[in-house]
Amino acid sequence: MEQIDPKNHDGTSDTTPGGEFDKRRPGELVFTVFLLIAGLALLKSAYGIENPFGPNGPSAPRAIPMAATLAMVISAAILVVKTIKLPLDRAETLARDILPINVVVFAFFLTAYGVLLVPLGFLPTSALFLIFGIKLLAKRNWRWTIGVSLTSLIVIWLIFRIVFSVLMPAGIVPEAEFIQFFRGLSGGGVNS
Amino acid sequence: MTALMDFFTVFMQPQLLLLVGLGTFAGVYVGAIPGLSVTMAVSILISFTFSWDVYPAISLMIGIYMGGVYGGSRTAILLNIPGAPSAIATALDGYPMAKRGEAGTAIGVTTVMSFIGGFVGIGVLALAAPLVSDFALKFQPRDYMLLAILGILLVGSLSQGSLVKGIFAGALGIAIGAVGRDPLTFAERFTFDFQLLEGGISFIAVMIGMFGVSEAFLQLHHVNKDAVHQKISRIVPSLVTVKKHLPLSLQTSTIGVIIGALPGTGGDIAALMAYDHAKRVTKNPERPFGDGAIEGLVAPETANNAAVGGAFIPMMTLGIPGDAVTAIMIGALFIHGLNPGPMLMIDQPGMFWFIVGCLVMANIFMLIFGLTGIKLFTRIVEMPRSILIPLIMLLSIVGAYAVNNSITDVYWMLGFGVFGYFMRHYGYPLGPVILGVILSRLLDDNWRRAIISEQEDLGRFFAGIFSSPLSLVLFVSVILIFVSQTPLWSYGKRVIFGRAKKT
Repeated sequence: MEQIDPKNHDGTSDTTPGGEFDKRRPGELVFTVFLLIAGLALLKSAYGIENPFGPNGPSAPRAIPMAATLAMVISAAILVVKTIKLPLDRAETLARDILPINVVVFAFFLTAYGVLLVPLGFLPTSALFLIFGIKLLAKRNWRWTIGVSLTSLIVIWLIFRIVFSVLMPAGIVPEAEFIQFFRGLSGGGVNS
Repeated sequence: MTALMDFFTVFMQPQLLLLVGLGTFAGVYVGAIPGLSVTMAVSILISFTFSWDVYPAISLMIGIYMGGVYGGSRTAILLNIPGAPSAIATALDGYPMAKRGEAGTAIGVTTVMSFIGGFVGIGVLALAAPLVSDFALKFQPRDYMLLAILGILLVGSLSQGSLVKGIFAGALGIAIGAVGRDPLTFAERFTFDFQLLEGGISFIAVMIGMFGVSEAFLQLHHVNKDAVHQKISRIVPSLVTVKKHLPLSLQTSTIGVIIGALPGTGGDIAALMAYDHAKRVTKNPERPFGDGAIEGLVAPETANNAAVGGAFIPMMTLGIPGDAVTAIMIGALFIHGLNPGPMLMIDQPGMFWFIVGCLVMANIFMLIFGLTGIKLFTRIVEMPRSILIPLIMLLSIVGAYAVNNSITDVYWMLGFGVFGYFMRHYGYPLGPVILGVILSRLLDDNWRRAIISEQEDLGRFFAGIFSSPLSLVLFVSVILIFVSQTPLWSYGKRVIFGRAKKT
């Protein structure tokens, strides 16, 4: 039977386990230890949940959170032990296979988007994001990039504003007045 | 009679019909474009449709779901890249067929078989769900609790990767779902004294982050991969071919419904099991399996579409999702004020029949769109990722923001996006996280109800489990899943099979 190489599974969504089963990917140990520490911190926090109405028995508000975080700690601990035993996969590097520069740049872009969204408004922020994002990935000339970005932004805006009536922060663009202007135009056309 | 009326609601209202059609159309393409997934599409859509009425919103989402399960097969056949996990088995024989220049036949057979499978699934849903929900009324709180745990564990253990990672993911989901003020006692849980956290973390932000942003990040690795061109000839399969494979398709549909109906198992597992079944029962395939056997297409495609109807059974009657997509569908129903579970069938039987009607319609649309528009299809699939990825990210942000008009949700989404990205890289399944978030409340409520009714006595609680056959079966299943992952299991297997070999 033909085996599918998991690396080709860029379309499958739920899990895309990378790397090989018997090897440790770069950064995996750090991640697993992080999970263990996070689990311990959450367990401590869960233990601190007090029942305001009675004793902290099995029906107290801390019961399920403690059970869940305890399961996290135990499974993370098992995983740390298992991961330490695996040999490191020398064929992969952190910078190329796990965290390439594009991912870091896009994570930064998205954070910047979140920061600018409210003060600047949806349309200018999205335009900036799409232009720089597409420029970075497609590496085509500016004219093409700006054309594609603005066209897709207009389509998205029309669909969401009109079909789904999603309200995004207007920011510096007088969006409402803009729509009103066009409504006025079409309304005026009917009246006359 | 009223059931029939509700069933036909979707056929009577052109607007709803149009939405199901649009949804199915979009679903086929979303499922087919590598890098877009149904889970991603539905989780982003929830946030956009949440201001809508229930009926139109559900129509659209069911269309996307049905279309998406089918759409994944297209890229599996043409590019050897399953567009959805449920299409992994389809690639095994579909791609070899395409390589021989029979892509058209492969797509045609897939479409018709998905249609047949879909109908079997819906039929079983319509017949079985009312019975199951009657039965479910007898469930004790502890049974619900055990079912929820079983669902999370099954998703964790059956998806690729290790069960331990699955358990971690599920437990994390339950913890995320518990953030905020406890609804019973108003005690703060995991809020770290931040006022922001008192209302909990929006599960839509978690979903979009995990399935939208993290997927988009992962796709950044494949920006420069080109789409493969394929010439496609005749699509509509001959009646002879369909007739010939009808018996097999009915068998594999049955497998699909049953697997789909088990909590925690969905289309992907159904498809693989059906493929295996076809390999065993087909005595003389025209071509060997893995080399372009039509049976190898028929089996997984009927099964994964039949599993859609099957998966709706536990979702509608128990409120327990079968897989990540149904978990998101449950989220969608919650958002629209519906509470999936046995009471839904009693309080709002109309809703159930409406959903069945939508599924039927979506199935018909799937057949239509599947057999037409192949030219448009090849062009859309070739859309460069350098444009697609920034657009997915933009949609994810808009989606996360739109639900509560809150920028905090956007940051949560980004956080979970980055976290989910690392989880994917290191082989942690994401399905259990979403299931955990969705089921956290149900688990918590039912545990507390169960233990309070036993006067907080663990001994009496376990006595209760052992005195009820249903609870006992569920409890034993949960234990079995754990044992199956320990060395004890392989030891036991060796003992049993070792003996079998000797005799």
